[in-house]
Amino acid sequence: MDNVTSKWRFITRLSLADLWYDKKVSFCIIASIISVITPLLLLFSLKYGVVAQLRHQLLNDPQNLEIKIVGNLQLNQQMFDWIAKQPETAFVIPLTRSLNTQADLLNDSSHFVNNAEIIPTAKGDPITQDMPLIDKKDQILLSSLAAEKMQIKIGSRIKMVITRQLDGKLEKGITELEVIGIIPETYYSRAAGFISLDLLIEMEHFYDGYQSKIFPTGTGLVDSSYPNSFARARIYADSLDDVAPLAFKLREKNIETRTQASAIENMQAIDRVLGFIFSVIAITAIFGCILSFSGSFLSNIERKRKDIAFMRLIGFKSKQVMFYLLMQAMTLSCLAFIVSCLLFLLGNCAFNLVLGKNLVSQPIVSQLQFYHFIIAFILTLLISFIVVAIGGRGAISIQPAESLREA
Amino acid sequence: MLTIHNLVISRPIDKSFFKVCLPELSVKAGQVVVIKGDSGCGKSTLLEMIGMILQPDEISHYHLMVDNQNYDIADVIQRNDVNELATIRAKYLGFMLQTGGLLPFLNIKDNILLSAKLLQKNIDATRFDYLIDKLNIGHLLNKYPKQLSIGERQRASFIRSIIHKPALLLADEPTSALDPYNANLLFDLIIEQAQQDNIAALIVTHDWQRIENKGLFTLSAKLSSTQSSEFLPL
Repeated sequence: MDNVTSKWRFITRLSLADLWYDKKVSFCIIASIISVITPLLLLFSLKYGVVAQLRHQLLNDPQNLEIKIVGNLQLNQQMFDWIAKQPETAFVIPLTRSLNTQADLLNDSSHFVNNAEIIPTAKGDPITQDMPLIDKKDQILLSSLAAEKMQIKIGSRIKMVITRQLDGKLEKGITELEVIGIIPETYYSRAAGFISLDLLIEMEHFYDGYQSKIFPTGTGLVDSSYPNSFARARIYADSLDDVAPLAFKLREKNIETRTQASAIENMQAIDRVLGFIFSVIAITAIFGCILSFSGSFLSNIERKRKDIAFMRLIGFKSKQVMFYLLMQAMTLSCLAFIVSCLLFLLGNCAFNLVLGKNLVSQPIVSQLQFYHFIIAFILTLLISFIVVAIGGRGAISIQPAESLREA
Repeated sequence: MLTIHNLVISRPIDKSFFKVCLPELSVKAGQVVVIKGDSGCGKSTLLEMIGMILQPDEISHYHLMVDNQNYDIADVIQRNDVNELATIRAKYLGFMLQTGGLLPFLNIKDNILLSAKLLQKNIDATRFDYLIDKLNIGHLLNKYPKQLSIGERQRASFIRSIIHKPALLLADEPTSALDPYNANLLFDLIIEQAQQDNIAALIVTHDWQRIENKGLFTLSAKLSSTQSSEFLPL
């Protein structure tokens, strides 16, 4: 066993001695491998960096996923349950009549928003998905524009003021709310506040002329029952592909809807074009990579044909010669891959430092995960292995005497 | 120790073929056989077939008797078992090529020890020193082949080919690049080592005059036509 191990160790030493002796040739092979691996790493880093993020933003922009209900209807709980059960549905929540979804929001007399949109939210809402969950009636999430107008920070308290006309008199309902989060502009660009559905129902109750514990006035009808149907709903599809089928299903239930159909078509066209462009570049680059590997390693094997023949002459077996060639290819590929990674890191920093500054919502332009490097490394070794195995097999199949004579 | 019957190969030359044939050969351990003939008569081809690095078209008998074991080489060749042939070459054969036959990336010392290292065999240090001194290449041991003349390479190559004490030494024009003094020295050393270590040696040479009075068994190429030659005892 020891004898066998030391024999393979001896062949390993021989193959490395050969590489070291032919330093210039080894360097040229390494350089040619680097010249294809580094641009490929950078290309893929852009795909998984800026391109993937842009694609994700394009395809997952909540505004494009929304299905808006046209007009006011009578949607009961059964209908909401049905919508929620559809496989295309990502999120659904009842919405009151449009006139009842507006309120004034005040920080102080100088900082306020008139007629801000008031929108119900809950767990799973694509717009507030990264925000703290609203679980109380006195909590609100503000859009960044609303927060900016009121100069509000998270944790501050603001007033919500709603006005109704009752018996010819204007009455204000006021309640205090805690700001628990500010929604980035990329998610919602208008001045709005996101609240619990219960608070929105309470607003409608007030607007309809009833007394409300949340908006105390002392006037109005006393009615503790709340409606069990809603005029509208906020509905979001799971993906762009789900928007049209879900809208169709709703239309079948006599619910007229409006979607961003043309915008969605544009997004999907852009996605297809981006995907196609990248695929063509990637396939061409990978093909070039294989050709480059073949050129480098096969010419190296051709150059060594006399040495290979001599080694076989003195008794090296085919598998030992193959191991010798593969060891060289693996060593060169490993070194080339390490240098490629270092060069990639430089390119990666340059991309992120220079281009990242120009993209406000996109500071990471180029990125690769650790597993991407592992895959790239395995592919590099695999391509080298296959090329050298094929070339080596060809060299070994020639009778030693033929190669010794040719030289 | 070595017996061969009817070893034949036809090699393509331009649009025709040249046939090389060895009807019979028998060599004892320690015996030196000289192969002579004009250029192009197939001396090297014959050596390559005997050395198992060129597959013959025909072979009826090729036996090698070493360490009380009888190897049916003809059978291994016909089965084209390249690994078995490689094992036999490594253990029992020593080759000395015209141009030296050294790996360019190893220094002379490592080149000389190459066969022994491949076999994981310890060498006899006294014998190593003796051969180095005799051929006067001690000062070249740390140099690389390309730093040596062809003659120096031939001398180093001879030591490499016998350092692992093979049963059969095949030398293809071992003195082609040597001056008369070193050529005589090398021939004498080949004969000495062959007798001392029971090595059967087959030497292809154009330097026949140099050894014709040493009483060595000689195979000479007879051109039976322009397209074939036959190796027969002189």
